[in-house]
Amino acid sequence: MSIVPKETIEVTAQSIGITNLSPEAALMLAPDVEYRVREIMQEAIKSMRHSKRTTLTASDVDGALNLRSLEPTYGFASGGPFRFRKAVGHQDLFYTDDREVDFKDVIGAPLPKAPLDTELVCHWLAIEGVQPAIPENAPLEVIRAPADNKIYEQKDGPLIDVRPPVKHVLSRELQLYFQKIAEITMSKSSPALFKEALVSLASDSGLHPLVPYFTNFIADEVSRGLNDFQILFNLMHVVRSLLQNPHIHIEPYLHQLMPSVVTCLVSRKLGNRFADNHWELRDFTAKLVSLICKRFGNTYHTLQSRLSKTLGNALLDPKKALTQHYGAIQGLTALGHNVVRLLILSNLEPYLSLLEPELDCEKQKNQMKSYEAWRVYGALLRAAGLCIHDRLKVFPNLPSPSPSLLHKGKGKIISAETRKRKLSADSSQNQLPHKRLMTTTDGLRPQDHTGPAPMHVDKPMGKKGNESESRHQNEKERGKGRVITMKAILGQIWKDDLDSGRLLVKLHQLYDDRILPFIPSTEMSVFL
Amino acid sequence: MDPEQLDEFVMGYLKKKGFNGAAKQLQDALHHNNNNNNGTGSSSSFNSTDYHNDPELTKLIRSFSQSENDPTRYRNGYSNLRSWAYNSLDLYKHELLRVMYPVFIHCYMDLVGKGHTQEARAFFNSFRKDHEMIHLRDLQKLEGVLVPSHLEEMEFARSLRQSKVNIKICQYSYDLLLQYLHRTESTLMLGIINEHINFQVYSGQPNSSSDDIDAVTIVGSFQETADHVNQKEIQWGLLEDSLEDRLEKTGSLLTDSEKGQGESKDGDVDDSNKKRSTEIGKQGSSLKKLKKDKAGNATAKVARQETSTVSPAPRVKSELALPVMSTDVEESILEDLRNRVQLSSVAMPSVSFYTFVNTHNGLNCASISHDGSLVAGGFSDSSIKVWDMAKIGQAGSGALQGESDTNDQVAGPNSRRNYTLLLGHSGPVYSATFSPPGDFVLSSSADTTIRLWSTQLNANLVCYKGHNYPVWDVQFSPFGHYFASCSHDRTARIWSMDRVQPLRIMAGHLSDVDCVQWHPNCNYIATGSSDKTVRLWDVQTGECVRIFIGHRSMVLSLAMSPDGRYMASGDEDGTIMMWDLSTARCITPLMGHNSCVWSLSYSGEGSLLASGSADCTVKLWDVTSSTKLTKAEEKNGNSNRLRSLRTFPTKSTPVHALRFSRRNLLFAAGAISKPTS
Repeated sequence: MSIVPKETIEVTAQSIGITNLSPEAALMLAPDVEYRVREIMQEAIKSMRHSKRTTLTASDVDGALNLRSLEPTYGFASGGPFRFRKAVGHQDLFYTDDREVDFKDVIGAPLPKAPLDTELVCHWLAIEGVQPAIPENAPLEVIRAPADNKIYEQKDGPLIDVRPPVKHVLSRELQLYFQKIAEITMSKSSPALFKEALVSLASDSGLHPLVPYFTNFIADEVSRGLNDFQILFNLMHVVRSLLQNPHIHIEPYLHQLMPSVVTCLVSRKLGNRFADNHWELRDFTAKLVSLICKRFGNTYHTLQSRLSKTLGNALLDPKKALTQHYGAIQGLTALGHNVVRLLILSNLEPYLSLLEPELDCEKQKNQMKSYEAWRVYGALLRAAGLCIHDRLKVFPNLPSPSPSLLHKGKGKIISAETRKRKLSADSSQNQLPHKRLMTTTDGLRPQDHTGPAPMHVDKPMGKKGNESESRHQNEKERGKGRVITMKAILGQIWKDDLDSGRLLVKLHQLYDDRILPFIPSTEMSVFL
Repeated sequence: MDPEQLDEFVMGYLKKKGFNGAAKQLQDALHHNNNNNNGTGSSSSFNSTDYHNDPELTKLIRSFSQSENDPTRYRNGYSNLRSWAYNSLDLYKHELLRVMYPVFIHCYMDLVGKGHTQEARAFFNSFRKDHEMIHLRDLQKLEGVLVPSHLEEMEFARSLRQSKVNIKICQYSYDLLLQYLHRTESTLMLGIINEHINFQVYSGQPNSSSDDIDAVTIVGSFQETADHVNQKEIQWGLLEDSLEDRLEKTGSLLTDSEKGQGESKDGDVDDSNKKRSTEIGKQGSSLKKLKKDKAGNATAKVARQETSTVSPAPRVKSELALPVMSTDVEESILEDLRNRVQLSSVAMPSVSFYTFVNTHNGLNCASISHDGSLVAGGFSDSSIKVWDMAKIGQAGSGALQGESDTNDQVAGPNSRRNYTLLLGHSGPVYSATFSPPGDFVLSSSADTTIRLWSTQLNANLVCYKGHNYPVWDVQFSPFGHYFASCSHDRTARIWSMDRVQPLRIMAGHLSDVDCVQWHPNCNYIATGSSDKTVRLWDVQTGECVRIFIGHRSMVLSLAMSPDGRYMASGDEDGTIMMWDLSTARCITPLMGHNSCVWSLSYSGEGSLLASGSADCTVKLWDVTSSTKLTKAEEKNGNSNRLRSLRTFPTKSTPVHALRFSRRNLLFAAGAISKPTS
């Protein structure tokens, strides 16, 4: 029968005061009620369509009732969704659930915020038929595989002119852009232009469609250009810019990118000339690795573990060249102190014993080899130092040490630092570092910085040293006015974290004083 | 059934039908018969009772007696016919299935008419699935009919009852059907078919199902009137001496002469073309002659058009007194036309999208001026808001401009809005349209009025009252001054800006007129309606000159191709249809959208069609391929589909309005809809 049950009619009749409606009358009325409701809804749907909506609202029904000169429904205009309740004891009887509202609550409630005013914003939905990847547009679909394209076109037969699928996807502008960037990257002539290109890569918003092409390009060129240091360096810069670009969603392409990056870190040979400073490239790449891990570590759980595994293997393989070891150490250092502790420090002793003969210039006649060995030694030192530094930083409240102690400490720091810098510089001259050390321990000598350093090789390390120095100073200032006895702290260190104490001792044994600059002054004062 | 019962039934039947004389005679005869039988036993010469001995007749009468009022008859009859049709030969199946729908709805209405509400509903529900795909909207309408009085009241049902459906059917299918009906003695079905279907039997093989569009809309005799109406002659060409025309003349000698060559096959028509190309130099003197020539040739061109579709649109005279355009406006338009980007399937337009934010679900319509610089939104709170994008573009000047604009608006002390608020309507605003130079806005509303606003004064100038119900749509003519409106009162009206009364009233649609669009030559308007048809009206005479049947749901948007030859219409289901105006046939339906098509727009040279839909996409269609291919299609029977070139998804923004600027930049507008949860 009608979809309106006769109970509904009866209830409605009662609600308007007709109590003696006979069941027959209700039965007769039901079909008509349904027809009228449908009629109203038909008009309401028209009203909805002309309001350019696809959901029917109470106001549409009111509009339809108005067309029929009927009284509109009241109390439904608020727009909130209605809750219908089933009437107890009846199967298909529903009523709207009206909440009782306390006047006090309504009056006491804070005034609602004024609604925002209507505004109009303009953007490009498409430029010459291509949708730019801007936040205003719906996210682009992943670029269609060429195979699909082909099938589609073949199906449609001769009506459709077949064109290479890639050109459909990439606009002419993007193609040109890609070509230009590739050209600049491969040319070594104009560093200024390249810098501009990098800025553009790091900031432009519409580059997403090019990402697969760039990853491909980088992978190709790295594998081809292992002998060309400059190109490798440029490529790594490109990688960094791409990583920096906030509009690019590079994650899906990371797995293609990582091999190239790791290659630049731990390859046996990068560049073919002696003058090529592949150390710098390795340091830069190491930073890149840490950047990647920081950004995608959360989403790519296996990323860091896989990386550290690869690098750890490279480090612990005695057959690998020292340059490779250096890269691996730098990479691991960039991954954070936990990794360093796990992979480097645990293997430090045996490794150093292996390295020892290389370091000794008497035993190792090859200058180059010796230099490399010293580089590795420096990197290891840095890794261990940074690690211990980070660990000691964990202790928050250290008292300000006595001024004399501090001064002493500072003197030590500076001297040690110069020493370290000398270390690498000197080693290139194949002098025994210990002699030098002896000469420089007595204090800070400015000429040491400029004097016997023909190659400015150790820039990142030097910077690091400066940083740590300034950090010490901050620490010093902050530490002032704290009154906790030294003893307590010492006790805390040995008690709370036995590990770091022991680690320090061990490192000290291995490195003598060279580890000291990495220890924050206040902590150092504690130990001293 | 023994003879006595049979006699009784026949008696009752005759009486019921009012054949009193016959009944009496029969009674007498029976009496007489009985007497004879009982008494003398002599055989009577009266042979009225020989139906007792005729088994066929007895059976027939028996079936009558059984089921005169039995509602299950319909169900059984229909389901038998249905299973027979579904099991028939594949070749003829679709033709036979076509018969099922009218039978179905008439069975249903018969049941309702006889008061078997319950059975009718059951019958309806058990078979509606068969027809839902094509006739969903009709079924939804009919579903509510439950009481005989509804049949009387509802216009749709009434027209169905009163008219016959035309069904084209091949000879063999027809024979099959009749054979079946006779063999099974399903007199009821036979009766319905006889009563409501008008078979147009043709010999030969059955048609392929390609033309099933014709079978979709059952409007009965309406189809005939449509056919009749569509015979009328229309002149769909462009206006002579239009700006495009002038540009063509002054701009490109070459193309003009090429066209002249292309048409050299057609006798006298291309004379005028040749003349035109040769006489460009001395335009002034020859122009008059040219005009006369063309006027005479216009009709010939209409006929000729069907044979060669690549020829340029013919020129026709305007039947309206068109407003005079100021020279600087004219200059700017000419400048725009000269700078127009040529679009094609390989040269895509740029799309600039205007997104309304914070509309709180209140945006009913949006409109974009011809140059894209002004955007108007009509809201359900009766307000109209006009944004000047040129001013918004100038960053920083917002404050200054906000103050200068507030001469007639009640701006709060700290509100610095960057739009002009137009208040005047007293109901939801359903449509807004800009005059071609952008100096006026017309709006239509549920308060049955149309209002004219000046964008320079930011004030209401005129209120046009004439419609009796909400005015769904209003559109300025391509040259301004005149405008057309359409309403829930089933009429479309033509107005001019200087009169408060309508100039013409177009009546004929069977339901709401939902959208209206001007033909580029201003002599016609097209209207789309909830009765699922699109009509073309002569503006001068107010007559309906074309009826386009084929949509399956209410028509929401219309667009005319710039050459005036084609029209596109979009409906509630997301189907877009391309029509040839001269033949009133659908060239091809464009399927792709899955929700209401709110807006359609042709590119400046007519090669692309853009459609905006509630499914949050803008689609571009290649229209040239379809129109060119119609000829080939006719030849090799290959039904091609228009190409959907591109789909631009928006960020959950239903597309309310679209416009190609004169330079072929596509503007789109819509209100962002936040996912409600």
